[in-house]
Amino acid sequence: MEAVEREHEKIWASSRKTGTIDATQNIIDQLRRARESIQNDPASAQVTLAKLQAPVKASFDDMTGSLKTTRGGQNNYQKALDKLFRDKPLPSSEIDALTQHSNLINRAVYLHLLREGLFDVASRLQDEASQRADQQRDRQQANGLDVSTEHPLGLDQGLPEDMLHKFQVMHHILDELRSHHNLQPAMDWAEMNSEELQARGSNLGFELCRLQYARLLLDGRHDGVLSMDSIMHALQYAQAAFRPFQRQYSHEIYELMGAVAYFSNLDESPYHARLNTTSAWNDVALSFTREFCALLELSADSPLYIAATAGAIALPPILKVQAIMKTKRAEWTSQGELQVETPLPPTYQYHSIFVCPVSKEQSTDQNPPMMMPCGHVVCQDSLTRLSKGSKFKCPYCPTESSPAQATRIIL
Amino acid sequence: MAEATTQLKADDHLLLDQPLLRLPLELQRRTFKQSQIKIDHEQKKTTELLRNAAKTANSASPDDTIKSLDAIIQRMENLKRDLETLNEEEQSLHEQSAKRIRHLQELYEIPSLTDVKYENWARTRLDRLIVDYLLRAGYSDTAAALAESKNIQDLIDLDTFKQCHKIADSVRGGSTTEALRWVARNKDSLKKLLEKTASDKNAVVPAVTPKVSQLEFELRFQEYIEILRRHRTQDTARFEAIMHVQKHLAPHAGAFPDQYRVTAGLLAADPSDPSECYREYFSPARWTYLSDLFVDTHHQIFNLPIRPLLHVALSAGLSALKTPACHSSLNPSSAATDGHEHAKPMFAPTSSSNHIGNSLCPICSTELNELAKNVPYAHHTKSSVEEDPLMLPNGRVYGRERLEELERKNMRISGTSRDTDDERGKDDKRGRTIKDPVTGDKYPWERLKKVYIT
Repeated sequence: MEAVEREHEKIWASSRKTGTIDATQNIIDQLRRARESIQNDPASAQVTLAKLQAPVKASFDDMTGSLKTTRGGQNNYQKALDKLFRDKPLPSSEIDALTQHSNLINRAVYLHLLREGLFDVASRLQDEASQRADQQRDRQQANGLDVSTEHPLGLDQGLPEDMLHKFQVMHHILDELRSHHNLQPAMDWAEMNSEELQARGSNLGFELCRLQYARLLLDGRHDGVLSMDSIMHALQYAQAAFRPFQRQYSHEIYELMGAVAYFSNLDESPYHARLNTTSAWNDVALSFTREFCALLELSADSPLYIAATAGAIALPPILKVQAIMKTKRAEWTSQGELQVETPLPPTYQYHSIFVCPVSKEQSTDQNPPMMMPCGHVVCQDSLTRLSKGSKFKCPYCPTESSPAQATRIIL
Repeated sequence: MAEATTQLKADDHLLLDQPLLRLPLELQRRTFKQSQIKIDHEQKKTTELLRNAAKTANSASPDDTIKSLDAIIQRMENLKRDLETLNEEEQSLHEQSAKRIRHLQELYEIPSLTDVKYENWARTRLDRLIVDYLLRAGYSDTAAALAESKNIQDLIDLDTFKQCHKIADSVRGGSTTEALRWVARNKDSLKKLLEKTASDKNAVVPAVTPKVSQLEFELRFQEYIEILRRHRTQDTARFEAIMHVQKHLAPHAGAFPDQYRVTAGLLAADPSDPSECYREYFSPARWTYLSDLFVDTHHQIFNLPIRPLLHVALSAGLSALKTPACHSSLNPSSAATDGHEHAKPMFAPTSSSNHIGNSLCPICSTELNELAKNVPYAHHTKSSVEEDPLMLPNGRVYGRERLEELERKNMRISGTSRDTDDERGKDDKRGRTIKDPVTGDKYPWERLKKVYIT
């Protein structure tokens, strides 16, 4: 990468020197001077013009030289790029299983834009996609070809209704949280959905109340000393707001109230960290987003972001195998399973993985994991093969059992 | 799970970023070429004019000599102005390249994939990929709006794609004019492309190396078809058609033998009701084919990938993330998009699905679930499950910690005091029940079985 940067700086610098333009100006100056002297002394015309030939040629040679330097620089820069991207072919279209599903990709992009709160961009996409789809439909109709009836954004397929409105609500609440430190809209939402949140084991509601309390408490702080007004205000708020959480979070509430005792030197108190609001706003915004999306049965972060990033990480091994398959003229199957491991950071694991210790295959709905009475697990196919229908010994311990005793487990 | 990795190898990571630097260089070469042509031309012309002026200086009047000098000065001033315009273009391309290099350089300064800086960089990359996708799909307004709101105008190639689409649209609308003009403008690059294909050992090389691109031949061939269609009854048209074949198609008969062979037959066919073997040539679908061929050729000479890079990133990423569980009938979140809505109540009251973490799997999420059906799932050689797995009587397996955590939360809600449990000791589960986090079923702890995953 440094070589690329260096070579680029070189050509940029030489292009700033504007060699060809200067040489052109040179010629213009020479011509003007010649014109002047001819005007002053018409008799010298032939001599002056004859004398002009050589310097003009020299200036043109300068231009050619300058061009050569530029081309040389471009070639060097290209070489640096070639080196940087050596063995990194542009991914070929062979692993592209997605081209036929442009409406689904449009949909993923559209939902991503909604998630990002880019509502204007999203609605523009909707307009442009419909426009182009209409054009295409008209053309196909005029040409007597089959007309596609697919929605250009794939919005007709299994999408929770009114996604746009829901994300607008989400971004309104987030904006109030982040930019205005206003907790009320989030609290209203949590109150409205308290049943679902409780079922999920979420503590968003409590987090919001805690932040509001901390905010009220710290509001009138002066030189590290809490004001009596704020304390009264905060305690008043706490009395009402914490009531529904009393049983679940008694310990935390106790601590929050205890902080008041340190009103004069809160920063040195053991409760300081509890009331630290600098990161709290962001934390609350994140957990609000997570809960909001979870209730819509959506993942907390944009799936498009996670998938594209995972793709960038997984691409090197996939392309390597693709290249090998090509030289061996073996077929790249787009069905079933990848041929190569694609290691990802641990945060990218969302499901349990079961690989049968006997067959080394991953369990699927057709070939589920089966637990023997001893607690060891193999896949259904391996179990059938091991037992051949009769009593058999577990491959991992001395226990014997019959296939009927094995139970299907769901990981 | 494949061996987890957090290492960031920046060099490997640039797979998707090649066009970012290649395209501006390609455009720089273009401006260079234009300067070169202009300078060459002017040098020839000026030298000649100057020599003539010197030769005739004796016989001509001084006024004429001055006049011819003025003409040369004028030419040089025009040249200078042209060169200045081209240099300005070049400067802005250099500035753009420098910004792109800096953007890629940032990646080399990020220590690991878990670093927050990587996340920011990867989000910008996604924005770039989306803009690239939108531009290729012809949604240039959306692309421009997104680029503006993310402030990445220097990292995208709006103009190149816009021009490409303009020509592609004109072809799709049934015109060869703009595409042929483009072919003429890019003669050199197209020739280079042909040489490259000819020297490529892996490519299928025709018996005779073509002297014109397939695009150019096909466009001329289409012109021929259009002449036939226009005047199918007039003999003059037939003559025009034959002339067209002789001028544009016959010289390349060897390189495109199959198509050349049908030219004669087409002459005899009735365009309004062609026989089976000629129908495809008179079909309007050919314009779509030509338009696609133009776009492919355009991308090739600009070193742009044929398919959107978002597709490449997504198909790799969907696969790497996908597990057999993502489209399993036992997975409550994917069941929702499967179309059978009645599947859902089975899992009520859903609190959280069979996910390890708190967050829903991106493949199971509505946005990508349908799309991911078309890609293979990730390859794993090792099992990877929650620690200390326990099986519930319904066959579902969860890690002990998750079950205990859920139990604690439920106890808080139901108001059971924790202290009495603590007195009995942590491991004493007598009389306590746990709730299946997915199905909501309740079971006594004694009925749980330890599972050994090897």
